[in-house]
Amino acid sequence: MSDTNSSWERVRGGILWIVIPLIIGLILASSVVPKPVIGVIRLEDAIYGYSAQNMIKQIQYAAEHPEIRAVVLVFESPGGTVVDTEAVYFELTKLREKKPVVTAVNAMAASGAYYLSANTDYIYVKPTSLIGNIGVIGYLPPSPFIIEDIITTGPYKLWGSPRDSDMRQIEMVKQGFFEAVTLGRGDKLNAAPEIIFSGQIWVGSEAVRLGIADALGGEAEAAAKAAELAKVAHYEVTDLAELAGVNTFGGIFFLQSEDGMILPYPNKAGIYMLYIPPLPIQ
Amino acid sequence: MKKGYFYIALAALLLPILIRAFWFYRGTVERPEIATPDFASFTMPEAPLNENTNDEVEQLGGTVIIDQTHGNQFSMTEIAAFTSAIQQRGGKIETLNDSFSLDFQLKYASAFVSISPSFSFSPFEILSLQNFAERGGKILVFTDATRNFISIDFISGNPIAIGDSNAANSLLKVFDITVNNDYLYNTQENEGNFRNVFFDEFGKSELTFGLKEIAFYGTHSVESASGLILLGGSESNLSSMNDAHHPNHGGAALSADGNVAAFGDFTFLSSPYSNYTDNATLISNLADFVLTSEQSLTLQNFPYIFTEQTVNVYISPDLNKNTSLITALSGLQSSLRFRNIGLNFVDEVPSSGDTIIISTFLLDDDTQAIANKFDVEFNSTIQTVEFGEVSSSGTGIFLFDSTKNGNTLVILASISDDVIAMLSLFSGGSINSCLTADNIAVCSVGFGDDFGFGGGFSEETPFEEFPSEEIPTDVEATPTPSG
Repeated sequence: MSDTNSSWERVRGGILWIVIPLIIGLILASSVVPKPVIGVIRLEDAIYGYSAQNMIKQIQYAAEHPEIRAVVLVFESPGGTVVDTEAVYFELTKLREKKPVVTAVNAMAASGAYYLSANTDYIYVKPTSLIGNIGVIGYLPPSPFIIEDIITTGPYKLWGSPRDSDMRQIEMVKQGFFEAVTLGRGDKLNAAPEIIFSGQIWVGSEAVRLGIADALGGEAEAAAKAAELAKVAHYEVTDLAELAGVNTFGGIFFLQSEDGMILPYPNKAGIYMLYIPPLPIQ
Repeated sequence: MKKGYFYIALAALLLPILIRAFWFYRGTVERPEIATPDFASFTMPEAPLNENTNDEVEQLGGTVIIDQTHGNQFSMTEIAAFTSAIQQRGGKIETLNDSFSLDFQLKYASAFVSISPSFSFSPFEILSLQNFAERGGKILVFTDATRNFISIDFISGNPIAIGDSNAANSLLKVFDITVNNDYLYNTQENEGNFRNVFFDEFGKSELTFGLKEIAFYGTHSVESASGLILLGGSESNLSSMNDAHHPNHGGAALSADGNVAAFGDFTFLSSPYSNYTDNATLISNLADFVLTSEQSLTLQNFPYIFTEQTVNVYISPDLNKNTSLITALSGLQSSLRFRNIGLNFVDEVPSSGDTIIISTFLLDDDTQAIANKFDVEFNSTIQTVEFGEVSSSGTGIFLFDSTKNGNTLVILASISDDVIAMLSLFSGGSINSCLTADNIAVCSVGFGDDFGFGGGFSEETPFEEFPSEEIPTDVEATPTPSG
């Protein structure tokens, strides 16, 4: 009887001191050590108010959630407005200070989209992705005139700025873009600045040769690289749009023809970091 | 004993956490500081405003014809700095609104200016302008890399951009100047934008006098094998043709004779660019250039062969101032007044000033002295170097002598009625019906005494005298040699 009691005591002791803590440990482990997540943020649109805000929400979500160990930006974008690109750029910088960010370019990361790509740790492109087109494009305002029924309080209230001044401001914006690329890519760039900043758009394989991008690959390679930089394994890849509560239904950025065709030109004049395909003029 | 159990329990608790941690995480990540551009440090490139202007200008006079017949892609307000500079110098601006007027307007123009033409010059226009330049008239052609005429291809329906270089070259090629269908750019040193290039190397010319730096705003490159590159730039000025620098391509070129200049840009003529760098000085030089054409006046300029406000008129004593002559002289006066020139009748041939001498072939000494310059002999026939022997009967002659002391037109005919007919020709403003060389014109103005159907000028026997006895005297038809 005493042997039976003693055995039971040992079993009970084992359950009490080993199994129960083990079970508790197992239960706690998933919350104390969450499964690492590689968050994916997609930009399959131009960069403008709506799409930029969507990106910012996802970037902030990634920054605030510790299980998201790294982020992959997937680009399919010709760029967009300067101010919205810069807004995303600043948020991206804050995220990068905490977590690695890797770019995967699908069909295109041009102009403003490349501005953002340059602010990531690694850039993957497909052999025929279009990438580059570094620079700024702007439409100068008309020479000012006055209109009988529009009263303004200054000569440029209606026109924004003198044409000459507008040209010089565009040049100032360009300096920021060039600097961002220089800082982002640094020694990786293999070509002279006059080539890199000529505004050319390159196919992916050429971009890798020039140091505009790092390697050929897609989202899977980008996720693997992000995991490597974040020093995680057995990770999960999750699209952040839904988690961040982002509605990916797009807004209106491009000009639309009367028959509903979307044209590659922005619907209002301004300063853009945007790739506009060559005009069909011989 | 209890302490031992505690450690076992703790280990059991931590074990799954550690295993999970090692399963998922392979180390800690040290994130670097992310450098971003110092946006606050970026500044707008300043406009290179140059307020040094030369207010002293010389009154030069002259008329500048501005082409409006070749689909020229500009408005007069865009070249206001240039036209103002011309007007400040007493120059007059006229536009060429139809090609048919070109010949006529070039007679009195000091310069012809074509800006960003879209359509080529016709062979006739080119010939007229070539003659104009050869006699000292100035030609300026401005093109602009930002001006393109969009046309639709009739076959494919595709839009086609037609620049101004081809149209400009149709004229410039005869002066050995070529405007290339490109634009110059510089990504390293530029005026606010890569397409705004500086020029700081200048070909020696009146056009480049006083220039240290010029900025052009979207310019074609211009070249000339026999002429002079007026504006050259640094090696980082590249052509869009092949992204390379061509030392023999510049922003402007001057023909070998110095009378024709072509520019790859005209935006620098517009405000505010006209006041940047030394562009204002260049514009002043251009205004001087177009108004200081040292044209040798010839009868090709007829009737614009006088340059002074008053023309002295000397009528030979052998001419009777009858009503017919007075009527003819009043016509002469009206035609000259139309060009703001007054008449001053004199009794002697003046030694200087613009003068019209009206006489029969019976020349007095002063008139003979002038006629001698032309190697013209008046006997029963008129012997000329240019046209050979010409019948004196029914023939009038204009002799034109342009010297530093003035321009003299001698109007001669055999009889008073023919002199009056010659005056009418002058008043009519055209000597197209005359045989014309640079300084002599032979006109058929009357019947003479040797005119007949078999007479006049023929291809077989040009300008030979026909025997008077073979000429029927009862014929009244007016000869009309084709002019």
